[in-house]
Amino acid sequence: MVIFMIRDITIGQYYASDSVIHKLDPRVKVVCTFAYIISLFCFSQLSGYIIAVLFFWGITKLSKVPFKFIVRGIKPILFMLVFTAMLNLFWTSGGNVLIKIGIITITEEGVKRTVFMALRLIFLIVGSSIMTLTTTPNQLTDAIEKLLKPLNKLKVPVHEIAMMMSIALRFIPILVEETDKIMKAQLARGADFESGNVFQRIKSMVPIIIPLFVSAARRASDLALAMDARCYNGGEGRTRMKPLKYNGQDIAAYLIMALYITVIIITGRYLPL
Amino acid sequence: MKPFINASGLVHEYSRRDEEGNVTGINRALDGVDIEVIAGSFIAVLGANGSGKSTFAKHLNALLVPTEGTLYVDGMDTSEPDNSLLIRRTAGMVFQNPDNQIISNVVEEDVGFGPENLGVPPEEIWQRVEESLKNVGMYEYRKDSPNHLSGGQKQRVAIAGIMAMKPKCIILDEPTAMLDPAGRKAVIKTARDLNKKENITIILITHYMEEVTGADYVYVMSEGKVKMQGTPRQVFARSEELVKYRLSIPEVTKIALGLSKKGINIPKDILYVEELADILLKLKAKSF
Repeated sequence: MVIFMIRDITIGQYYASDSVIHKLDPRVKVVCTFAYIISLFCFSQLSGYIIAVLFFWGITKLSKVPFKFIVRGIKPILFMLVFTAMLNLFWTSGGNVLIKIGIITITEEGVKRTVFMALRLIFLIVGSSIMTLTTTPNQLTDAIEKLLKPLNKLKVPVHEIAMMMSIALRFIPILVEETDKIMKAQLARGADFESGNVFQRIKSMVPIIIPLFVSAARRASDLALAMDARCYNGGEGRTRMKPLKYNGQDIAAYLIMALYITVIIITGRYLPL
Repeated sequence: MKPFINASGLVHEYSRRDEEGNVTGINRALDGVDIEVIAGSFIAVLGANGSGKSTFAKHLNALLVPTEGTLYVDGMDTSEPDNSLLIRRTAGMVFQNPDNQIISNVVEEDVGFGPENLGVPPEEIWQRVEESLKNVGMYEYRKDSPNHLSGGQKQRVAIAGIMAMKPKCIILDEPTAMLDPAGRKAVIKTARDLNKKENITIILITHYMEEVTGADYVYVMSEGKVKMQGTPRQVFARSEELVKYRLSIPEVTKIALGLSKKGINIPKDILYVEELADILLKLKAKSF
């Protein structure tokens, strides 16, 4: 069920610890995560995957985040994963035919593509999970704000966007809990979310969505008052409790990342397997 | 002595509008309120739902401005828009719903939100965050997510968030309405401690009678007006009136009143269980 899947998404769920990764500047983590995701598409042979997995494994160990927290992020995309895997498996031609039953043909190339595509998707998700698990949403939005600051010159309200993002992240778990509560309340009144065809099921979501929107609007208005009461006045003249400053380990992290990217590109180019 | 907060003839009207935005009616939420608060005191404003007490609270923070009458906070006129930031620095406000006033995902970052807005340098923010979290007894939770805290703990974090702005006064607008009894006690105790130790003026808006027994002075509001005022003992002694304003007296006071109606020689203004127990024991000793 959709609602129960939302709860499993690890985005916006910080895992508190004092590891090296936690202490890195969030800008480093944002940039490196992007670099890592892009790097996943720079190779197509086994050796590249081994390097990417080893690198990820090393980061995970350093971050001290338990493995099950990281894996949890995959659950919501499981369906998509299986779906793309199926497509790849059945629709790729070329290479030796392994199985042929009726119109279904599975080729060696297909199996290879399927496994690699799935791995890419999985590492894309867990790679960004490790960032959100080791960085508080506030640090994350701070980083995005700082990184996008040049856009301020183009009249893009960078601070406001970052603030909205961090508030949205903060309210995800609250709204999920609320959805759960509303659902139970409607179930207790005899609502049926499980039976019927797709359209009926979508229609049965209306009694959940409307109270949820109403409550979200009320929360938004309350929060705006609370922010006003705490002298929030936009980005101007604001200081930072945790100002972002690069230090030795951040530069080291950038260097390690650059090294990793170089290795990945070299393997992607020159290694046959 | 000049009062810290001085409301005189305060009127606030909400206008009801139809779909086209035409005014169809006017609700008078506050109707000539006069309240004076001395710096460093603990004041309670009591009232049932719809009595106007929350509207009054929002005025103290310049979130609403008076329709008529004047309100001065620390010598500043709240109807002056330029004053609003200064007023909010002087008189911090804690709201009813603990979830809807916490901005950050980490306790310490949330407490730092106010000082950040004020432009306080980072080292001092850290110092203030530490100090205010210790003051409300939430220091060991500083790295936690507010989502993992109980309602009472969240409310104490919200109080710390206000404390970090170094206000002279904290307004608590029904801070315990959504809490369980344990959380309620902890929040009220925190407010009282801040009043005693840090000499911060506390204005507690509530409809729980048990919470106001420790206040220096109580105002009872109904239909936008101040109907009764005095020390908690003076107010609770007039129980018939309180019932008229849809408020109930604390259980202990109720018992004492019942006993005195039965002809037992007992004062009518008892506020604490220990007090009643003491008197009853003395009576018992006498009768033997």
